[in-house]
Amino acid sequence: MAAEPTFETAPAARPDGDLLAVRDLTATAALADRSLTLLDGVSIAIAPGEVLGVVGESGSGKTTLARAVVGLLERNVSIAGGAIELAGETIVAPGVGATDQARGRRVGMVFQGASRSLNPLIRVRRQLAEVLRRHEPGISRDDVTRRSEDVLREMRIEDPDRVLDSYPHQLSGGLRQRVAIALAVVTRPSLVIADECTTALDVTTQAEVVRLFRTLIDDLGLGLLFVTHDLMLASDLCDRIVVMSQGRVVESGPTAEVLDRPQDPYTRRLLAAVPTWTEGVENPHA
Amino acid sequence: MTQELQAPLAGSPPVAPSDRSAPAAQSPAPSGRGAERARRILLRVGGALVTLLIAVTIAFALGRMSGDPTSTILGPMASPEQREALRAELGLDQPLIVQYLEYLRGIVTGDLGTSLQFYQSNTQMIADRLPYTLQLVGAGMLLAVLVGVPLGVLAATREGTWWDRGASALALLGQSVPVFWLGMMLVLLFAVKLDLLPAGQSGSPQHLVLPALTMALYPMAHIARLTRATMSEVLREPFIDAARARGLATRQVVWRHGFGNAALPVLTIVVLQTGTLLSGAVAVEYVYSWPGLGQLALQAIQFRDFPLVQAIVVFGAITFVLLNQLVDVLHALIDPRLR
Repeated sequence: MAAEPTFETAPAARPDGDLLAVRDLTATAALADRSLTLLDGVSIAIAPGEVLGVVGESGSGKTTLARAVVGLLERNVSIAGGAIELAGETIVAPGVGATDQARGRRVGMVFQGASRSLNPLIRVRRQLAEVLRRHEPGISRDDVTRRSEDVLREMRIEDPDRVLDSYPHQLSGGLRQRVAIALAVVTRPSLVIADECTTALDVTTQAEVVRLFRTLIDDLGLGLLFVTHDLMLASDLCDRIVVMSQGRVVESGPTAEVLDRPQDPYTRRLLAAVPTWTEGVENPHA
Repeated sequence: MTQELQAPLAGSPPVAPSDRSAPAAQSPAPSGRGAERARRILLRVGGALVTLLIAVTIAFALGRMSGDPTSTILGPMASPEQREALRAELGLDQPLIVQYLEYLRGIVTGDLGTSLQFYQSNTQMIADRLPYTLQLVGAGMLLAVLVGVPLGVLAATREGTWWDRGASALALLGQSVPVFWLGMMLVLLFAVKLDLLPAGQSGSPQHLVLPALTMALYPMAHIARLTRATMSEVLREPFIDAARARGLATRQVVWRHGFGNAALPVLTIVVLQTGTLLSGAVAVEYVYSWPGLGQLALQAIQFRDFPLVQAIVVFGAITFVLLNQLVDVLHALIDPRLR
């Protein structure tokens, strides 16, 4: 029987502070003829073990915010003001780009479309191994194998050995998504960013992914920045919600408060755009 | 806590790779997969043989359509008896179908006829000259890959910058410069003016430098442009961002994940260019008096040694078809989705 998985997380959270704090972040994109503000004084905070949902329509700046945290902004996008702190340490600010040490080790990221976020030419085993070896240079081959199997078991994968020996195209969409999450958490980061990671999945798999995240958060105490345009999904998983529009935070607060008593007109419009349920059919999210 | 994670969640059972809800995870049974693979190999080999047959048939037909070779070989002053003797010697007095079958039998047995100019076996002459051409093409292609691939990768990873523009301009220049002109310029500079390297012939590594440089320029430019284009596309793939987000080193992201996925078209061009050059590096071999197949082909054409020309064409066709097969095999080796 395989060794029991271990759950030590990277030392990241301040004992009494935020795990992630984004303060007044402003990001601009240099276009050929003008400069475009993508984030305009955005402030958010996530505590250890907390799930913060970032919702908003396409182009609202959700993904830019997520990518800014891991330093994966497009080449023409720059930070014009504000800062991002991870466990009290400034990792992003104008002229500061210290995300290299955090990326992958302290912050994991899961992208939209897991199928395309896995290298199609490399077996799952090697993709996991290269992440472990990169962040834990002295790790032994046995430990790499054990940790890879353990993390797949945590993802509720029944036959980790077979999945490890598979190429991505040999796995189903649901399995690929679990492998993508495994790649994000195998190094035990203290923060995970999920950028629309359930968008391309069917509703059953979406629900499974949400439950998986919930378990990981409860057991590992990691913080989750959950970027989505699906308000119902956000209501299932998130402790707090931030609503973004045109690069600004227009409303934020505990999930129930924001969804039940929206204050901002944009949030109301967003909620009004959620498909309504046929009379007589019970809304499972209600 | 561990038990909690290990225990299946309510309504969320563990997922097996071959779960019914996972159609993409289904792979054919091993025996079915073996049969499918055998079928594909047979199809591939069959396709190659048909291509080869068409190529050698075209070579045969062109040889026969280009007029009576006895007139071009013996000249206008030859007597009818002399012509008839030569026709008999070349087997041209036989019916066309007999000539064709004899020609095919020769190819299968490795007998590509006898040269009219050198009175030697064409197969032997090609075998004698081939090592020189292999040396030249090998050195040239190695140089082309060693410069072209990094140049293309550099341009792609710095898209839109001066590095990109410089590398692209260099590649464009490389594809625009005529090979014979470049050869002559290199001879003038390094052999005549600076007296650093020999101007021609073969025999030492120094003799190889200028011909290999000349040979490398066009494929290098082609490889650089193709690498840049393919890498630019691959570097926009989500798995590249994902690899970056996992904190992998830039070198790993660019080469293992980026170039690993961009390598297929580049490899195809490298192999096919090698095939093209193997069967006729005429200009380079001529400029440097390099005793390879290109030089031999030129001599054969000048003397109207039609059996030798035909033999070189057949050799080129076989080489090309074999290299095409090699490309298919390499594709399957590199990309598991093609197996």
